[in-house]
Amino acid sequence: MLSILSEGFILGLSTGFYCLTSCLPALVPYLLSEGDKVWKTNFDIFLEFLSGRFIAYFLFAVVSTLIGKAYKPYLPHWVAPLAMLLTAIAMLAFLFTSRGGHPGKGCAMQFSPFYKRIPLALGFMTGINVCPPFIAAFVRLVELSDMTAGMFYFTGFFTATSILILPAIAPTPFMNDRLKNIGRMTLAIAGVWYLLLGIKGLAAAL
Amino acid sequence: MKIHVKSYLTDRENFLPAVAFCVAVFGPVAFFSRRITGVGLNAFYPAAWSAFTALAAFFIFYTRRVSFYRRIFFSGLALSFLVHFKLSLLSKIFDSSCFKDTPFCHIAIASSFFNYMYQQYLALMSGDWRLWGPLSLAFAWLFFTLVIGRAWCSWACFYGGIDDGLSSLPKKALVKTGALAGKFRDFPAALLIFLLLISLAYMLPVYCLWLCPLKMTSAFLDPGDALIRKVQLGLMLFALVILLAGPLLTKKRTFCSFLCPFGAWQAFWGRLNPFRVVVDEGKCNACWECFDSCPMFAIRAGHDGKPEVSAYCNLCGECLAACPSGGLRYSVFGMKVGDVKTGFGRLLNPESFLVFSALVTGGTFGALFAPAALKDIFDILLRIATSY
Repeated sequence: MLSILSEGFILGLSTGFYCLTSCLPALVPYLLSEGDKVWKTNFDIFLEFLSGRFIAYFLFAVVSTLIGKAYKPYLPHWVAPLAMLLTAIAMLAFLFTSRGGHPGKGCAMQFSPFYKRIPLALGFMTGINVCPPFIAAFVRLVELSDMTAGMFYFTGFFTATSILILPAIAPTPFMNDRLKNIGRMTLAIAGVWYLLLGIKGLAAAL
Repeated sequence: MKIHVKSYLTDRENFLPAVAFCVAVFGPVAFFSRRITGVGLNAFYPAAWSAFTALAAFFIFYTRRVSFYRRIFFSGLALSFLVHFKLSLLSKIFDSSCFKDTPFCHIAIASSFFNYMYQQYLALMSGDWRLWGPLSLAFAWLFFTLVIGRAWCSWACFYGGIDDGLSSLPKKALVKTGALAGKFRDFPAALLIFLLLISLAYMLPVYCLWLCPLKMTSAFLDPGDALIRKVQLGLMLFALVILLAGPLLTKKRTFCSFLCPFGAWQAFWGRLNPFRVVVDEGKCNACWECFDSCPMFAIRAGHDGKPEVSAYCNLCGECLAACPSGGLRYSVFGMKVGDVKTGFGRLLNPESFLVFSALVTGGTFGALFAPAALKDIFDILLRIATSY
């Protein structure tokens, strides 16, 4: 199992750059808008985001193994655009429900804090957002068709790609109100972008 | 007006220094213009462009009206770019496929910076870096940033020249922009962060493909998807309206202030450059004329209730001309050095150093397209003349 774990780790390390490009447009604007000068706050956000990704990867490991066992090594075309659309909805919903963190200024709807786990949701949805290294991992898991091996493989893959995402929290200690406002605007732009591509992708897939 | 002209021409103390300044600008611009245009273009065209730049230098020095003559030079530069670029598109000199890679445009440097770095990394790994090097473009940008910093946006950028020229045309602003400025002045920074990330994610120059108003032609649009094509066209049209109608309605540089990612980029890195516009506390009477005159929304209220120049300042000199008490000046790192009023000593003022650096940079950059544009215009006129 150690060799499977390291295989996933090496794949993540060598191709993680692509994961970076699909995760950062979701993570960085959120970190800028909700981060703090305190490292711990930013790290908590980062960990929550990673947890979301881990859940997604875990789920994917299970699904890939099942697919492998069923001898249907392909994914539905609507998975990636749906993930994009959900990412967009999460981003825009967050913006509409918490305007700059000032109570009373945002949307009138009140949500339980449980439902406001935005980094977790973003992490999950970027996790299921199929990117090239993910497909490489998927193909390998379909071939393995072993649940335990799949878990180890994706744990290695997840750990390596997380190392590459870590620098995203580096600039957050310089946070101030102005930067937070910039982060919120970035989040809005990224939300609209994902929304457009999600709708376009779904329309083409369905 | 006659009185003004007469008084300018009789200002003998400044005439010779202005001539010296003019020659100092002409020399390097003429040299680089000729080098850039090469032997393919008649030597007359780069010489004419260099003379135009040098004349701007002369009048800026002689009359001390920095912003006025800067604007003439700057708008000329932008117009020449438009003429050459658009005529090139018509004659299909530009291959649209080149925009699928990151183009060599200063606006793209900012929004596709990570792409350049990645491509350079690949080039280094392939051992072919000397043949193809976006890093050389990064060095060029770094050099210009060290030389003129944020002044690029008011002395050399072709987008800025269009925005700046148009903003000077109306006598009065039809639309007030005070509230908008406060809320959305940082929007270019947000757009820049998004573009840096998303351009890297898709390995495409997303700004150039989706938002560049100067590429308003179907040649660059996504041929494979009707919806995306419509959105791209809509966004380009929106940017074009901001670029053309915005300044005419507001008398402000709306595109540069609210939509240009390079402006935000240069506002950040421009701190490396020593030139600044500073408020002279002793002379400023807080009349806020500078605030109204600044086309870039770069002046805000300081803690003492007096104006404060922000990092978005492009050193255009508009506020210097507007201040009735002479309370604003160019400086080097905010220090009070070299404030000679007349004679050759003025050549050592920070203002002269800035204008020299900016005009040589703008003139050299303009040599990439302005001499060719002059030839384009000459050819068109010749064709019209011979057809009759």
